[in-house]
Amino acid sequence: MSRAKAEQQPATGTTLIVLVGLGIAFLLFMAFLNVVKSGPILNEANLLYAALIFYAGAGALYLGFGVTGTESYIKFASLATWAGLIANTGAVAHRWYEAGHPPFASLYEMLLSFVWTLAALTLIAEKRYGVKVIGTVTMPVAIVGVVLMQLLRSDVRPLVPALQSTWLHVHVTLAMLAYAACALSFALAMMFLIQDKMKTESFMAATGVFTLGIYIAILTRFERWGGLNVVAWDADNKQEMFLSRGVRLFVTIPDLGWLMLLVCATVAAPLALYILARVKRNENFLAIANRAVFVSILLQTLALVFFLLRARDGQYTSLDADGLYRTTLAASPFILSGLVAGIFANLLYLLLLWRRPDLERHLPGADALDRITYKTICIAFPLLTLMIAAGAYWANRAWGSYWNWDPKETWAAITWLVYAGYLHMRITRGWRGRRAAYFAILGFAVVMFTFFGVTYLLPGLHAYA
Amino acid sequence: MALTLSSALRKTWQTLSSIKTGVILIILVVIFSAAGTIILQRPMTEPEDMQRAYSPAMLRLLDAAGLTDVFHARWFVALMILVSLSIIAASLERFPNAWRYYARPYKSPDEHFRRALPTQAQIPVKDEEHALDAVERALHKIGFKPERIVRTNSFSVFAERHRISEMAVYIVHASLLLIFLGGIVDALYGWRGFLMLTPGHQSSQIELRTGSTRTLPFAIRCDGAGEDTYADGTPKKYWSKLAVVADGREVGNKEIVVNDPLVYRGVRFYQSSYGRTGKLDKLILNVTPASGPRVNREISLSQNETVALDADTTVQLAEFIPDYVVEDGHVYSRSNEIANPAVRLVVTSAKKNSSVNYWLPEIPGIAENASSPYILEPKDLKTGVYTGLQVSHEPGQWAVWAGVVLMAIGLTFVFYVSHVRFWAVPVADSQGKRTLWVGGAANRNRDAFDVKFKHLVDEIHEELMAPPASAELETLKH
Repeated sequence: MSRAKAEQQPATGTTLIVLVGLGIAFLLFMAFLNVVKSGPILNEANLLYAALIFYAGAGALYLGFGVTGTESYIKFASLATWAGLIANTGAVAHRWYEAGHPPFASLYEMLLSFVWTLAALTLIAEKRYGVKVIGTVTMPVAIVGVVLMQLLRSDVRPLVPALQSTWLHVHVTLAMLAYAACALSFALAMMFLIQDKMKTESFMAATGVFTLGIYIAILTRFERWGGLNVVAWDADNKQEMFLSRGVRLFVTIPDLGWLMLLVCATVAAPLALYILARVKRNENFLAIANRAVFVSILLQTLALVFFLLRARDGQYTSLDADGLYRTTLAASPFILSGLVAGIFANLLYLLLLWRRPDLERHLPGADALDRITYKTICIAFPLLTLMIAAGAYWANRAWGSYWNWDPKETWAAITWLVYAGYLHMRITRGWRGRRAAYFAILGFAVVMFTFFGVTYLLPGLHAYA
Repeated sequence: MALTLSSALRKTWQTLSSIKTGVILIILVVIFSAAGTIILQRPMTEPEDMQRAYSPAMLRLLDAAGLTDVFHARWFVALMILVSLSIIAASLERFPNAWRYYARPYKSPDEHFRRALPTQAQIPVKDEEHALDAVERALHKIGFKPERIVRTNSFSVFAERHRISEMAVYIVHASLLLIFLGGIVDALYGWRGFLMLTPGHQSSQIELRTGSTRTLPFAIRCDGAGEDTYADGTPKKYWSKLAVVADGREVGNKEIVVNDPLVYRGVRFYQSSYGRTGKLDKLILNVTPASGPRVNREISLSQNETVALDADTTVQLAEFIPDYVVEDGHVYSRSNEIANPAVRLVVTSAKKNSSVNYWLPEIPGIAENASSPYILEPKDLKTGVYTGLQVSHEPGQWAVWAGVVLMAIGLTFVFYVSHVRFWAVPVADSQGKRTLWVGGAANRNRDAFDVKFKHLVDEIHEELMAPPASAELETLKH
């Protein structure tokens, strides 16, 4: 049996590599045909497209490795990641040159830099620490990032006066590096939990809580009679529409709220079944819960499709102003990334559910993962500190005060405190293993809230990002 | 009584300095600051918005609990003071030990220490002196400076690097306290306010955030303000030319822009806002006589200014309406923004003793433009601008920046510099054979240290195998 498997694997392994290779070649060829027609080859959009193709190839190969465990995929996946990183570097350089400032001024530019950092860190984690499956997690994130970039306005916009400062670049670079390191520590902590024999259903519960959180956040925009509020889009100026300074104009997409409510319920179902299984001590509920996860993925995909269809260039009424207003996907990047992230998290859970033994075989040992997680946080924490300091210095020059207690600042401080707590518990109390991993995960959750949640849910001075 | 008091004090001290208290305090700070970002906060939010967001009972409750201005509430300040005290207590509690460790390094390991040390190796040797020489050469090779320790009944070799790393945590804690100190100084002695100036005017009255006014010992004069835009109309730069006036003379000036303030005697002036005052600065008119030769003339008028058009006729700018609307035969201003401006000019003839209300633009039914001896055409309307300056005095900020730099240094030592120590002692093992005991310790990054230790042991072996001094001896024996 095992010998048959061993003989069989190289064959399927080569097939995937050949398929991915052909796919990349085909897409590049098609792109090349378009480029020949349209003129300059090495512009930002083409480079970004090339990066997307290579990242997608790398993602497919990493996933293939995650599922089948064929070692040879890794080599090709790394190669594809390298190629993608080179194209991505080209796009960043092109952007920098065109704009005349480092690419951190808009959400588009920040995503560009973030994806670059993520790809670079993936290669470092793989080469230096031997965490080979990390690409399974990071590459899909990179792909989502590049796709999101296509939706955002990408034209080089001149900088408004408050952003014309070197300290801004220092601040944002440090933030990107720190957040990428936090993301890495999160992924490593998750892998630790897998190696530490944490029960698969606990991962299901965690995925459920995460996805439920996303839908609850989306449902804060639920409007009476089942609508969903999204920001209106000013097509002429290509930016969000404002009622007055700092107050965005919302339009209501009818019926979409009901759909989100329904999906929210299906997302809650596996979680409820898990709790039921724990309370009744009946394993049967877990099998149903796993099926419910499958159903919830289907419905989440449906929600995403409907959101894409309804929010793309539609015209809707608003509660705050008369008349019809347009909206586009670019006006709601956070809802979109939330929907995609939810589906992605659940798919990762399915990967774990179906292929856990293979994953365990290819991850470093629990002790090693525990140590690497700690090391990553040792890198992230000083970066967080410097990021806050650079931000304070910039605020002092731009607004006249180094600390304003605005929500973004406060949450950055909270992030810092959470990691400070982690370090104290680890160093003085010797916290290792599970508790440390939970802490690392909590830290990253706070980072995500600071990055997305504060912008999306809480008002403040940080209107730029 | 005295005894119970001192025990109570000791108990308080122990509670305060425990790591558990520290973590609980951190959790409390996290919870309350998170609350402060979720609940609308008083000075930033308008009272009407607060009333719209919360029910009256809820608002009363939030106000009473101080949750509508968390970061300036007394109990939050108290919490921060507790955090500072906890840091101080925890550092003081652990500092003496660490200092002893730092000031008097442990150089000559005794038997008990040798047994307990986790990282160690035993190398069989022939000659003690020769062995210690080899250790010294090996340590030199890996970049350490070995030290020969001679005690009355023993001698050994010791080498270490980055002892300062043992103190790093205290550097970080001290830097945090320095930052807090800066914050406290600013909270007590600092102030923030606003100053609005129009070009040509000066003021020393700062409108403070608290609502009161503060008079500076010097005045700020605005010599000009403006806005530059990109080709697409988005703002590129706001600037104000400011001059500092003390005792009636100018003592300094600077053109400030966003991100580049003027600093004078610890008071900082930031470009904060810029706009139009809604008042008229200058109106440029093209004047043509209604009859006779058509001679063009350009005149410029400011509010209430009168200009002679000929020996007999004068024109006066009587009224400027920034956003006019006509209702029931009267002209009103809808707002103070220059959206739909109108001016009323009075053309007076001394001889005829008549005056005409000349409206620009001509408002039917009200304007008497037709009976004016001159035709007035608007050429340009220059409106007044103002510049809004954020003013702040933060004497504590230098402590904050010093704290930040110190913290960066401290964190570098905490995370990336480890205190590495090696000892080598010639001993006799259980069978009485001569061996060299080699031990090592590092306070962090133990994986890398284990590799280093193995490397050192290999080097010692190598040095023992090929000693230059005794090489001939070995060959002679064979």
